[in-house]
Amino acid sequence: MTNISLEAPEAVRGQPYPGAPDNWKRFFTFSTDHKVIGIQYIVTSFFFFLIGGTLSMIMRGELITPDADLVDRTVYNALFTMHGSIMLFMWTFPVLVGLGNYLVPLMIGARDMAFPRLNAVSFWMVPVVGILMLASFLVPGGPSQSGWWAYPPVSLQNPTGNLLNGQVLWILAVAISGVSSIMGGVNFVTTIFKMRAPGMTWFRTPAFVWSVLGAQLIQLYGLPALTGGAVMLLLDITIGTSFFAPERGGNPILYQHFFWFYSHPAVYVMVLPAFGIFSEVLPVHARKPLFGYRVIAASSILITVVSGAVWVHHMFASATPGWMRILFMVTSMLVAIPSGIKVFGWVATIWGGKIRFTTPMLFALGGISNWLFAGITGIFLASVPIDIHVNNTYFVVGHFHYVLYGAIVMGIYAAIYHWFPKMTGRMYYEGLGKLHFALTYLGTALTFLPMHPAGLMGMPRRVASYDLEFAYWNVLASIGGFLLGLSTLPFILNMVSAWIRGEKVGNNPWRAYGLEWLTSSPPTVENFEETPVVVSGPYGYGRNQPLVGNIPNPGLTQFPESLTQQQTS
Amino acid sequence: MMKLRAILIMTVYAILVAMTSLWMAKQSYSWFPPEAAAEAKLLDDLFSLFTGLGTFIYLGVIGPFLYSLVFHRASKYDMSDGPPIEGNTWLEIVWTAVPLVLVLTLSFVSYRTYEKMAVRGPMELVHLHMPQIIQPAYAEPFDSKPQQEIQNAVETAPIEQIDVTAKQWAWIFHYPKQDITSTELHLPVDRRVRFTLRSQDVLHGFYIPAFRLKQDVVPNHEIDFELTPVKTGTYRLRDSMFSGTYFAANQADVVVQPFNEYQQWLADAAAGSPTPAFNRAAFEYSQANDRSGTTKDKVAVRGWDTIPPAPPPVVNYAPKREQES
Amino acid sequence: MTAERANPSGELRNAQDVEANVRQHQEHDAASNSKFGFIVFLLSESVIFLSFFTGYIVYKTTTLDWYPPGVTGLETRDPFINTLVLVSSSFVIYVAERYLHDKKLWGFRLFLLITMAMGSYFLFGQAVEWRSLPFSYQSGLFGGTFFLLTGFHGLHVLTGILLQTLMLGRSFIPGNYDNGYFGVEATSLFWHFVDVIWIVLYTLIYVWQ
Repeated sequence: MTNISLEAPEAVRGQPYPGAPDNWKRFFTFSTDHKVIGIQYIVTSFFFFLIGGTLSMIMRGELITPDADLVDRTVYNALFTMHGSIMLFMWTFPVLVGLGNYLVPLMIGARDMAFPRLNAVSFWMVPVVGILMLASFLVPGGPSQSGWWAYPPVSLQNPTGNLLNGQVLWILAVAISGVSSIMGGVNFVTTIFKMRAPGMTWFRTPAFVWSVLGAQLIQLYGLPALTGGAVMLLLDITIGTSFFAPERGGNPILYQHFFWFYSHPAVYVMVLPAFGIFSEVLPVHARKPLFGYRVIAASSILITVVSGAVWVHHMFASATPGWMRILFMVTSMLVAIPSGIKVFGWVATIWGGKIRFTTPMLFALGGISNWLFAGITGIFLASVPIDIHVNNTYFVVGHFHYVLYGAIVMGIYAAIYHWFPKMTGRMYYEGLGKLHFALTYLGTALTFLPMHPAGLMGMPRRVASYDLEFAYWNVLASIGGFLLGLSTLPFILNMVSAWIRGEKVGNNPWRAYGLEWLTSSPPTVENFEETPVVVSGPYGYGRNQPLVGNIPNPGLTQFPESLTQQQTS
Repeated sequence: MMKLRAILIMTVYAILVAMTSLWMAKQSYSWFPPEAAAEAKLLDDLFSLFTGLGTFIYLGVIGPFLYSLVFHRASKYDMSDGPPIEGNTWLEIVWTAVPLVLVLTLSFVSYRTYEKMAVRGPMELVHLHMPQIIQPAYAEPFDSKPQQEIQNAVETAPIEQIDVTAKQWAWIFHYPKQDITSTELHLPVDRRVRFTLRSQDVLHGFYIPAFRLKQDVVPNHEIDFELTPVKTGTYRLRDSMFSGTYFAANQADVVVQPFNEYQQWLADAAAGSPTPAFNRAAFEYSQANDRSGTTKDKVAVRGWDTIPPAPPPVVNYAPKREQES
Repeated sequence: MTAERANPSGELRNAQDVEANVRQHQEHDAASNSKFGFIVFLLSESVIFLSFFTGYIVYKTTTLDWYPPGVTGLETRDPFINTLVLVSSSFVIYVAERYLHDKKLWGFRLFLLITMAMGSYFLFGQAVEWRSLPFSYQSGLFGGTFFLLTGFHGLHVLTGILLQTLMLGRSFIPGNYDNGYFGVEATSLFWHFVDVIWIVLYTLIYVWQ
């Protein structure tokens, strides 16, 4: 029994070139290792998550009373603009790209992404975007105050008259983030198409990889449209073209089409990887194969396709003609089908399993239950008459926060806990993790549930002040918001202390199937000593069948018998 | 034996879920402001249907979900795997087909409601001088009463025409027949009202929650919009499309009154001479720019420069200023 | 889809061997991956143009006063000559690529130079046209979209010429193109892409008046 992983010299661990740091310092270098980049993405974006969260708590502080009495209205408008922009462009997108970066090459048995240097360049654009966003607080006139949609004509209004203003910085930041995402998309799609290990056919590819593929394809076809719109908006602001400026004959509605053609599918860019995470976490902690794996995998691509034709449902109350409203109502509702397939599949997966309530499992289950709720309110929103009432109200705010926080952020947490032992070789603290889950789940419900009734009563979104009748629900939501802020503390404590001094747990503490669990924890620079040859599907729980054919015994600690080939080789 | 028990449990659960869904569907009416327009009733019925079905689906999924969380847990030292079930073609076909049928039905019902509400698309920008009469083909009841009301309003009386102008940050209502302007919207009950929506600067949203209706107001476009108020009272008109600094303050009152009172109000307003109305945005702007720093509307954190609000509108009628300090 | 990368020997004694083994496979796959990735990128890039084209069509069909005052349309003769030059340069760069394929470097350099000259002529013609136009990018939606589309396309032509310059320069490094020439293939692909975009653009702006 040759134990390769132990013989591999330490030099292979850190950087793929001599003299590179082999400790925490490597996370501050221009590393081309997808695992280093993945963690760089995750940590950087989490930092911005905290900033975006702080902004939201100031907003909830303002909204705890009906009057605009904590911050000036311009500040409030800047707060929700920057909250939305930072949370999407600096947290949700990058953190999921980070998880994808870390996991996809490992899961498909590749040694790195297809274009490692491009990968590093994509990452290092993220801090630049963040600095631009934050810097806009310092320019005269303050940051963009037109919402994360930046709808003209409001986004074209420039009270200070400066060419260097918050809105211009915002567009630049979004454009750079777009370039980074497109490069990332090219990288992911190429990696997934071209670099799967021998034997890993499409229907042996883990559901997470499928979902990342679906998400990145959306980036590739959607982002350019937003970029096109953003370029035109920038020209309108800076050199006085008239694309979207009504006083010069432009058409502000066209911007909305450009914007939502990408920005609705962008929701699926974020939620698909979360779906993938659920599909990975559930089988491991319920000890059962993913139910209907093929359909779940294919439904990711179905979502990619359908999501290209739903964007007008954000514009039912805009100047859209009747036929457009009806057509897009039907297409939007069709999204319920692939989403439903997934939810039913997950329920069937845990049904009759051997469930363990580990922290990642709790987050995955919580995320699924929230997604179920958000999906149903989503069908409400797709219906034209209902949307005409609740469009631009807190009902929508509640709905998409249920998607973003309830499902996606929960999914991200599930992923971080689930793969934490893989990334660090150490185990997080289960007690802190469970506390974190309880606070997060409670906070989500307390913050975002009350927004639904407030919206049904007619409270518009983006208001700094509101009528007294909405006060009750807003106080609840504000308390919930502060609770969500609090909930990050046990998480941070958990991650930091577990990374430094957590229990070392070997390579596969969950006894999980999957190529990523075949290698050491943390994996060496090029992941696998020998390229694995995949011989079966990704979720072989209960079958006692080997996953790879060419590694007789990986020689990894605590490796479950069920994963290795015992008799034949 | 086990199978019988399972069927029994499932039947009981299904009945419970159905009853809860029904209760929620009834409950949903109480989540809304009063139904002040015929269209509101149509919407509330539709919403109730969605709530009922939504509850049914939610409980239908979450029930088995929670059941397995409670009963299918691994015991502490049980390291074995669950049964290797990878799928079930029939089950998968069913749970693809059922949602498909469901959403298509919901789309169809929504479409019918939309037709009944006769919300005018903004592509019908040109002034059609014919009321949009609802074809009898759609008259089948889901609840036909509101539709009757709309139809009666259209048929029995001339349509009231009101011009609405939105700007940063004020609403101005112009009654062309009497040539009256007001910052408060007065409407006769049980009559079809047609608005022509205009914006002077940016996008605004014409939104009266009690009517459940909303339409974005687009600069350079004239958008026709119709509705039928059916309940007297005072409601709120809110700007629903973010329009800049004082967006949240861009609200107006909507007074629905009996036709004779409405006529009286028109007459009174016509007698009133145009005076500048109180405008919340203009007021706050002047307060914020009052550098002497003694006014009460100061906030903890001061902000940045803003587009100055348009001067307070000069109108024939303005409501008494709310007791602001 | 998946390349055969299993190591048949299975006798890896140390990490250096592993490294060497990996590098070899990686170089083998790298070119094929790069090509795939570049095509994916071009497809994505084409969506920007697609969105601009859609915007142009929407504006043109919905705007009442499409042309600015005093403008009745665009002159089509000189742009047509320009179009011919650009489109035929696509064939020229193909010839250059064939020469490189046959390892005839001088032929490659010559035809690449001709391509660059044709591209430059196109840009020159474009600049002359821009200067002679009676409207600017501020002249309503027509002016804005005209300059946006032609300008954005012009940027791509310029990028193409710069790439060609780079490829020409690299041909003087001895042995540079011995182990494949992905860069040249990509440049050529990009050039074809720029051409196709121009044909659509020309049809939309000049033919459809």
